[in-house]
Amino acid sequence: MNSAFELYMITLLIYFGVDLMACWGLDLQFGTTGVLNFSFIIFQAAGAYTAGILTLGPSSANGAFQTYIGGASLPFPIPILAAMLVGAGLSVVVGLIGIRKLRSDYEAMVMLVISVIATTVATSQVALVNGPAGLSLIPQPLHGAFGLSDISYGWAYVGFVAILCAGVCFMMVRIGKSPLGRALRAVRDNEDAAAALGRNVSRLRLLVFVIGGTVAALSGAVLVEFIGAWAPSGWLYPETFVLFTAVIVGGRANVLGVAIGALIIPVGLQQAVDYLPISIDPLVISSLEWIITGLITMAFIWFRPQGLFPEKKRRFAKPPARDQLSGTHDAIPGEWSHRASKA
Amino acid sequence: MNVVISAVGFGLVTAAILALGAVGFTLQFGVTNVLNLAYTGVLSIAAFVALSLNLAGLNIWWCVLVAGVAGALASLLLNLFVYKPFIRRGTKLFGMVIVSIAVLLILEHGLQAIVGVSFFSFRFDSGGVVRWGALVFTTVQLVTMGLALVAMLLLHIGMRYTRLGKAMRATANDPSLARACGIRTARVVNIAWLASGFLCGVGGVLLFMDTSTFSATTGNEFLIVIIAAAVLGGIGDAYGAVIGALIVGIATEVAAALITPSAKEIVAFAILVLVLIVRPSGLFAKSTSQKQFAK
Repeated sequence: MNSAFELYMITLLIYFGVDLMACWGLDLQFGTTGVLNFSFIIFQAAGAYTAGILTLGPSSANGAFQTYIGGASLPFPIPILAAMLVGAGLSVVVGLIGIRKLRSDYEAMVMLVISVIATTVATSQVALVNGPAGLSLIPQPLHGAFGLSDISYGWAYVGFVAILCAGVCFMMVRIGKSPLGRALRAVRDNEDAAAALGRNVSRLRLLVFVIGGTVAALSGAVLVEFIGAWAPSGWLYPETFVLFTAVIVGGRANVLGVAIGALIIPVGLQQAVDYLPISIDPLVISSLEWIITGLITMAFIWFRPQGLFPEKKRRFAKPPARDQLSGTHDAIPGEWSHRASKA
Repeated sequence: MNVVISAVGFGLVTAAILALGAVGFTLQFGVTNVLNLAYTGVLSIAAFVALSLNLAGLNIWWCVLVAGVAGALASLLLNLFVYKPFIRRGTKLFGMVIVSIAVLLILEHGLQAIVGVSFFSFRFDSGGVVRWGALVFTTVQLVTMGLALVAMLLLHIGMRYTRLGKAMRATANDPSLARACGIRTARVVNIAWLASGFLCGVGGVLLFMDTSTFSATTGNEFLIVIIAAAVLGGIGDAYGAVIGALIVGIATEVAAALITPSAKEIVAFAILVLVLIVRPSGLFAKSTSQKQFAK
């Protein structure tokens, strides 16, 4: 295979894996629990920045062309683990501010504002994470360690991302089937009933906020360790919207559905648009991308809000066979039995 | 001290413009219960319509009026062809927010595809300079503040002393009860969209006159500041939005003068975050309960 094509496929697959993890994290928050986290992308950014800072070394290195706080040259898994910790910590902070008993669209707006605040702070305070220029020249982990060529290293990294995706997928499926998953869905469907049954709603929402934020940070760290650069223009608030579209199109609270959505929207749409004829102005093409994404979202909310793969209906006991309902049914007193026979 | 006073002066101008935008946003939300995040998309469209006429030679103040009318029309069309059908179809609150963000992205990028990424300016004569102690204003800034004041007064009189105003307040409070009392809520909702769009368009042109240059995306940077002012005052409450605009406008300018210009937006957002922690529904809010959409 042409090595340029291989590199393209490697990058595409890594972006797909990263978007996959991010979408699953978002689906846990939005699809399963009904938490409207419109600031989701900032957790991916926090993970990316943390991993970048901890891999770049002190800011005075390399001719001091970037300024950022901290800085260390830590070996391979540590920056990524640290990124997950930072993601969790930031989730706690943002969650405590933003998760209130607010009506849903208001909460979405509050999260949106928090996302813009984060972007503004990162862009204007240059000393934090090098402002609008962002971090760059982040070395890839273990690059020279095994003497691999660039292409082989790329495929190895794809394998690494695939393993992480499998882990996140496993976690999401297990949560979905567990008592925790049932509690989360209860919070989503009827918060007051869940609270009346003794579930601590605020704690559950904060919990998924943290889990989702950690997964987002992991995805950001993994991405930045490969592509080596990260700037505020890559995590503006509409990026969260793209992830939401993926979850809505694919199907909420459905692990496979979200995966398909992540394939279609962030990966498929962006790539498909690149194949349009070059005669169209690139600015118009990028605008068209966003317009099409918006239209697809609206179309899905109109025609199929449950998504391509709707959430599985869960049954907890076999429904009674029809002939058991007619005749006497000792649990139901006299005048109610005619209703049972109609069921 | 003089620096602070002149900063307060700048803050008043900013607050006047912000008040127009915030009141339009919050008024529409109060009556229709739809969080219209595509507000600044409408603002940008209205401003560019006005710009095309301004560059063709029309006087700037007529352009302000044109922008108001364009904003009103765009808002009404948005309601008739996007929001109302989705509400009729039963879309819940969160679905509506997603739809409004989708519309925002479509409008913003559609506009950008048409006009490109360059920066534009309105053509107008900024008039003489008026000094009053340490306060310095250009004539245009004074007219801007005057327009905002007149608009707020008209709104106040309209809401309080006319039957339409009463109908709007009733619809804002409880749409089904209002309908049961014989108020034609559909018509009231349409008028609310028209009014909010008018304020949006006028505020947009005044804003771009104040910022001297603007592009297709400048309006959206303004969205968050508008939301901040509206949320600060209590969303749905027009008077609260004015107070919120005053606080945000003056605080940001004073911070810019005292600390550093780049701290401007940070201060606005810090205020907002503080309000969200302490009193999420805003300073003057009534309860933001799960109201129905006004159909």
